[in-house]
Amino acid sequence: MFRNILEKGRRLAGLGSLVAALTVAAPAIAQDKEPIVFGGSIPLSGVFAFAGIHIHAGLTDYTSWINSQGGINGHPVEYVMEDTAYEVDRSVAAFKKISGSSSPATYYGDSTGFMKAIASELNSQGNTLMSGASFATVLTDNENYPYQFIPGPNYSQMFGIILEYIASQGEGGDMPNVAFVYSDTEFGKDPIENGKARAAELGIEVVEEIVTKPGSVDVSAEVLKLRRVRPDYVVFHGYVLSPINEFMVQMRQMGLDTQFMGTFWSSDKLIIDKMGADADGYMGVMPYNYYDSEESGPVLDALRAQAEKSDPEAGYRPTGYMQGWFNAMVWTEVVKRTLDAGKALTGDNMAEALASIEDWDTGGIIGIPVTVRDMSFPVGRIWRVNAEAGRYEPVSDWIHLD
Amino acid sequence: MDWLFFGEISLAGLAMGGLYALIALGFVIIYKATRVINFAIGEIMMFAAYLFLAFAGGMEMSPWIALPLAVIGGSILGGVIEKTMIRPMLGESPISVVMVTIGIASILVGLVEFIWTADPQLLPNFLPREPVFIGELYLAPKIAYGFLIASVLLIIYLLYFRFSRGGVALRATASDQAAAYSMGINVRRVFNMAWVFGSLAASLAGVLVAATGGLSPQFGIIGLSVLVVVIVGGLDSILGALVAGVFIGWLETVAGAYLGGEYRMPATFLVLAVILVIRPYGLFGTHEIERV
Repeated sequence: MFRNILEKGRRLAGLGSLVAALTVAAPAIAQDKEPIVFGGSIPLSGVFAFAGIHIHAGLTDYTSWINSQGGINGHPVEYVMEDTAYEVDRSVAAFKKISGSSSPATYYGDSTGFMKAIASELNSQGNTLMSGASFATVLTDNENYPYQFIPGPNYSQMFGIILEYIASQGEGGDMPNVAFVYSDTEFGKDPIENGKARAAELGIEVVEEIVTKPGSVDVSAEVLKLRRVRPDYVVFHGYVLSPINEFMVQMRQMGLDTQFMGTFWSSDKLIIDKMGADADGYMGVMPYNYYDSEESGPVLDALRAQAEKSDPEAGYRPTGYMQGWFNAMVWTEVVKRTLDAGKALTGDNMAEALASIEDWDTGGIIGIPVTVRDMSFPVGRIWRVNAEAGRYEPVSDWIHLD
Repeated sequence: MDWLFFGEISLAGLAMGGLYALIALGFVIIYKATRVINFAIGEIMMFAAYLFLAFAGGMEMSPWIALPLAVIGGSILGGVIEKTMIRPMLGESPISVVMVTIGIASILVGLVEFIWTADPQLLPNFLPREPVFIGELYLAPKIAYGFLIASVLLIIYLLYFRFSRGGVALRATASDQAAAYSMGINVRRVFNMAWVFGSLAASLAGVLVAATGGLSPQFGIIGLSVLVVVIVGGLDSILGALVAGVFIGWLETVAGAYLGGEYRMPATFLVLAVILVIRPYGLFGTHEIERV
């Protein structure tokens, strides 16, 4: 018996030595090349947490996937983040902490407010490229925000895509008219002026503009205004869910046959899950294929496999997940192009690499090759809710703005 | 001038004002009896609305069972808050007590995020969906029925405070605590009942407002909007809460319709500023005279 115990002890000791050897060796393998750091101010709590947790999952899963593919030119990727509760001061503090300790090459900003606030520091440091949750038009101003880009169309471009779709529905010279409904926030007001100008160019009449409080409790007065102008289309912007549902339900109760459309953050499956049958027919502009769409491609398939692997119970992954993944995917492409050119990972070099992206095949994340214009990817597609199937289905081709 | 449009807008505003009045009533009952400005009133509304969501959505109960359960749950929460967190603060400075209510609001937000996540939610439909017409005037059904339900509770409250023993005790305590105590009124119990009744009104308003405007952990902000109503009406006036609630609801809606949504808040705050200058204690509030 004593011999048995001794034998087991020897085996355990041997196993222990192997584990210890691997533990020491593993960092040595990983440290062959310097890691590339993706930093992030991520809203895991607070008002934007409903999207933040999925953005975080997208960034985390992409990092795991790219490392399983050998990293970026042999460099492992590290994703370093802090929860910000969607507060600008905490996002700034997280940026300072992460940039001080990890020197991130790229960084995820959780809001337009943060990305504007950090711009001067980002510009003076000159060694990080930033994108994030914001699609704000102002961030595509290269003069003031040379190291920031939009991981899709900006809000004005989204309106442009929506209006092109509406214009394409005009029959026999009878152009549909439109009403804009937006929240009384910087986010809500972002695309309105450009949207009105684009509508005028396309010959679409904007028959009403409705501004609501962000936390509006009742919109029946606004619905009454819309009843008087009977718009063919209502385009919402600056909301996630409410009050879109109330506008749709009340206007349909009044017998109007208006069609309803929205931009990125109001085009998630959340609308279908919460509104049920009332969501039927709602349309959104989306630059990425939905997780549960019938589209496929090597990267889109890899995304689905990685999502399934990291959390088999999660099922459908929201647009925030797709957005997080796509951000990291663009960062990877930019870093790779910069390294391939034999250049250092500075803000200028990475911005130049980003601007060089032309007819880029995203492997199915976006359905057509994309070209960067003014630090954004001005591409999208109109999708319509099929409430019975519980998902969005494409109703337009991919629209790539010039 | 399109009078039909003005009539419809006014009707929608008055109906929304009815809900404001109910929230304001919850605020005033607590202040009148205990002199505590309850900054957690919006979060108590939110908590009750989440309870309704859990009962009617998660547990798939009939909404008409879920509604009273959620309202009772919200009022019990109010009673527990008073007993465990507000009562120990008796005699402390009013600022400290206000800070406690702000802390409670923060805890409740964290609690609902923990239980129900931060996702925006819609409550299951439980109000009739057929459009309501009063003559030729259209009124959105949720607002119309919400106003009706709120009115029923408002009438019950008014009758209760006017004629019941509990109502008399509450009014007596509000009028003069020491005298009420010397007459054998259990003042501590009155304090607790004020929180229960105030939270009950807020909870019902919470479910009705969330049924119209959706629900999220930030829902409680509406409680602060109603602060305007109670200051205009008078912090300690039930009549003031009712009149100012209906008036502010109407004003906000009319300003939004004719001037644009961005003028809703400025219009109400303009009224607030004017009232504070003319009658600092509100339209119907008690003008307290302190003799030195």
